Amino acid sequence: MTDFDAIVIGAGNAGLTAATALQRGGARTLLLERHNIPGGCATSFIRGEFEFEVALHQLSGMGTEKNPFIMRKIFTDLGIMDQLNIVEERELYRVVMPSKVNKEHEIDIVLPASIKALKKTLSAHYPEESENIEAYLTLCEKLSLECFMMLPRAQKMADQTVLESSCPNYIKYGLTSSKDVLNEFFSNPDLKAVIAAYWCYIGLPPKDIPFCDLAVMVYAYAAFKPCHVQGGSQAISSALLESFLNAGGKVLFNTGAAKILTDNEQVKAVQTEHGDIFTCEHIISNTSPQHTFNELLDIPTPKQVTADMKSRRLGTSAFVLYLGLDCTPKELGVTAASNFIIDDRDEEVAFETMQGINDPTHTMLTCYNHDDPSFAPEGKTSLSLLCLQYSQAWQDLPVEDYAQAKYDFAEKLIDHAERVFPNIRKNIEDVEVATPLTMMRYLNTPGGAIYGFQQNTQDAVMFRERINAISGLHMAGSWNGMGGFQPTYMIGESTARAVLKKIKKTKQAKTQQQELTHA
Amino acid sequence: MPNSTANKSASDNNILHAVNGYQDALDHQRELIKTGTDFNEQNGHVANTIASLHPKRLQLVVCEVIEDTASTKTLRFKAEDNYLPPFQAGQYINLFVNIDGTETARPYAISSAPQARGFYDLTIKRVAEGFVSHFLLDDVKVGDHFQSTGPMGTFYHNPLFHGDDLVFLAGGSGIAPARSMIINMIESTLHHRKAEQKLHLIYASSYQADVIYENELKQLEQEHDFLTITWIISRPTDNYSGRTGHVSADLLTELLGDNVEKLQAKMFYICGPTSFHDFCAEQLKQLKVKARRVRIECNGPPKHPETLAGWPKNVIATDKVTVTIHKADGSQGQFEARVDEPLLNSMERNGYSAENACRSGECSLCRVKVLKGSVFNPAEARLRSTDEAYGWCHSCVAFPTSDIELFV
Repeated sequence: MTDFDAIVIGAGNAGLTAATALQRGGARTLLLERHNIPGGCATSFIRGEFEFEVALHQLSGMGTEKNPFIMRKIFTDLGIMDQLNIVEERELYRVVMPSKVNKEHEIDIVLPASIKALKKTLSAHYPEESENIEAYLTLCEKLSLECFMMLPRAQKMADQTVLESSCPNYIKYGLTSSKDVLNEFFSNPDLKAVIAAYWCYIGLPPKDIPFCDLAVMVYAYAAFKPCHVQGGSQAISSALLESFLNAGGKVLFNTGAAKILTDNEQVKAVQTEHGDIFTCEHIISNTSPQHTFNELLDIPTPKQVTADMKSRRLGTSAFVLYLGLDCTPKELGVTAASNFIIDDRDEEVAFETMQGINDPTHTMLTCYNHDDPSFAPEGKTSLSLLCLQYSQAWQDLPVEDYAQAKYDFAEKLIDHAERVFPNIRKNIEDVEVATPLTMMRYLNTPGGAIYGFQQNTQDAVMFRERINAISGLHMAGSWNGMGGFQPTYMIGESTARAVLKKIKKTKQAKTQQQELTHA
Repeated sequence: MPNSTANKSASDNNILHAVNGYQDALDHQRELIKTGTDFNEQNGHVANTIASLHPKRLQLVVCEVIEDTASTKTLRFKAEDNYLPPFQAGQYINLFVNIDGTETARPYAISSAPQARGFYDLTIKRVAEGFVSHFLLDDVKVGDHFQSTGPMGTFYHNPLFHGDDLVFLAGGSGIAPARSMIINMIESTLHHRKAEQKLHLIYASSYQADVIYENELKQLEQEHDFLTITWIISRPTDNYSGRTGHVSADLLTELLGDNVEKLQAKMFYICGPTSFHDFCAEQLKQLKVKARRVRIECNGPPKHPETLAGWPKNVIATDKVTVTIHKADGSQGQFEARVDEPLLNSMERNGYSAENACRSGECSLCRVKVLKGSVFNPAEARLRSTDEAYGWCHSCVAFPTSDIELFV
């Protein structure tokens, strides 16, 4: 018998979810984590009186208690829903484009988190486009429903007539460039920029994002509300770990995987960084495919994986300032938890800026205690201020220049945001700076990528053959699907389900064989 | 087609061909494959990049032992592979030691400046009731090998909000990070900052003979206008003519003025023994300096946890409890420990360990899970808000107040 049925490498969202689902499903599971804390991105850290959320900006897919959505079911099945205190956000986001000449903002709009109110707000701001707004948001809704329900069914049946009759909007718009759809529906460039602001959560400009991704995001956030969890995403990670341990799971912290050992292209064991070897039937890797196949695997990268990776491009990282301020959100002028501050209506300008250490043009400011005071000490404010950024320029810096470059860029980020929230700097009580290299350090991802590979249209699962070159080795994480919280939790859950099925099959086959032998 | 396998399921007989844009995406994929890579050329790159800035361990060798005072030595370390990562003046490394079979570690601020890239200096003062300092002062010689963490900690000048008007309150060996910061300011090439910066070092020592870096600092003060130093001796000899006493609110007012606004614009750094921190912090509070203008370097677990708020009334410091350790590999062990000894220390003495660095409750590396029983977590333990609900504590500052079972 092997030491474990399954070993999960990495306690990020997908790894934790997979490990918990596996152990609760009866598989003897070992979870390996190179850091001292579960969560990967879904962690928090303390500075002074502040507990900073590392990565969660708006949790999607929860729905409300009355109108629950899929993540509530998943968290219930994982045994943690009753441990979480969910905070619903009232707004989707605020978009501000400061004027270059005076204090009047060129764009300043707060979008509410409800489809009906969203239509109303957008129409009030852009009355000449109110019909287009109605039509666009209706399309988002229909497209989302097709993506959730009908498309998977049609694909399963492999029946083109079913696809054509049940997914007309998907056929027309699903894989179309988001920018083309925005241009088709709207003429006001302000409105287009406002409605596309969530592109930041994917990391590519609307030109390169398939419309289904943007539409589902807008619809799902508006219809099911963005959420926070008290204690931050760390509360989810800690609850998952507890559920995993309570089910009998074994975890090793400060223990990275050093080698995946195989026998005849079938996984056999994992060797840890401390030299211990644990045998297993299945490995679920929550680390990047580059690390898994090129560095951990004890045999050369399988051809199937090589072919798959050649069509991928590294996704973006981020530069983040975690700010604890000695003033209230109100004093700072916060009117929505999520804020996009833009200098240009064209997202491609921002994407260009992201390629190096350039003056930021698009920043995102999240105020965690806007919707719930428990996210910061009384009278204070907890913020994250970030811009997406690729890591190469940081990797190219001489190590001696790194700290200063970090502060110089942080100053620019604060300057950028202070045109909307003027008193950030003078109220700083604590601050931590995270560069793309910090992301690399804590996530162990190539380029410090935060969403995995670039999520252009062809990156999606439907364009991919399932990687099965190494029997028993399964990938789960942002690299093999969408990035972000909900997608990675869901990938962890579905991977565990598939592995449990296989384990069951193997056990049945063994029992049958034993029965035959005994007979 | 080079990607015949990758695209097989996607391109053949797929109903998705009916979807607008599907073929375009497939064509795009084919284009990408032509210029793409399997990323094998980047193998090791992530690990090397992280190691160049934040290595988990450094392999060090003592290259010089400098006698500072009768009670203090500076150990100069270089790296076995001749590479030391950069650090920010004020940061520490955690030095691992093996003393008569006990594996433990202590964090020490780096007293050399970041510009000295070839070595780290650790300045170690004898702690009478200490364990590690005697070993480092008495037994360590040039050529000895050590392991340490990379540079860590948040006690450094942060230009984003600290400003240029700085006051450093140093007690005893708390001068170590101050020295690094002072030399860093001298060596800095940021001219705009150099024009503005001021540092007033208020350095308290118990005895005249204890004063570390006295000559060097006096010379630097003469050479550089930005630096002002006030020396204080708390236990002077009869013929001592300098300042005596403590870093009191009165003294601070005398040295820095009583203008609250001006005081609040300064940034105060405090480093020294725990009692020194507490005293200085209290004086600054009296002077209405806001907490956010004060940075205190943590310095070990509380010496007398039983005197702190929240300590259970029925538990006395000399009580002993049984600690049962459950390791992840399924093995178990047991030992007795005093309730006033930090768990990490008693674990180490009994052959168990947890990753650790700050040993002051801050870095969270040493977190362990309490399965049964109770521990006392002092305010130093910077626990995450969900930790206590699930029994996680920082073992370096957690005290067992009943028989306990731990998951390590």
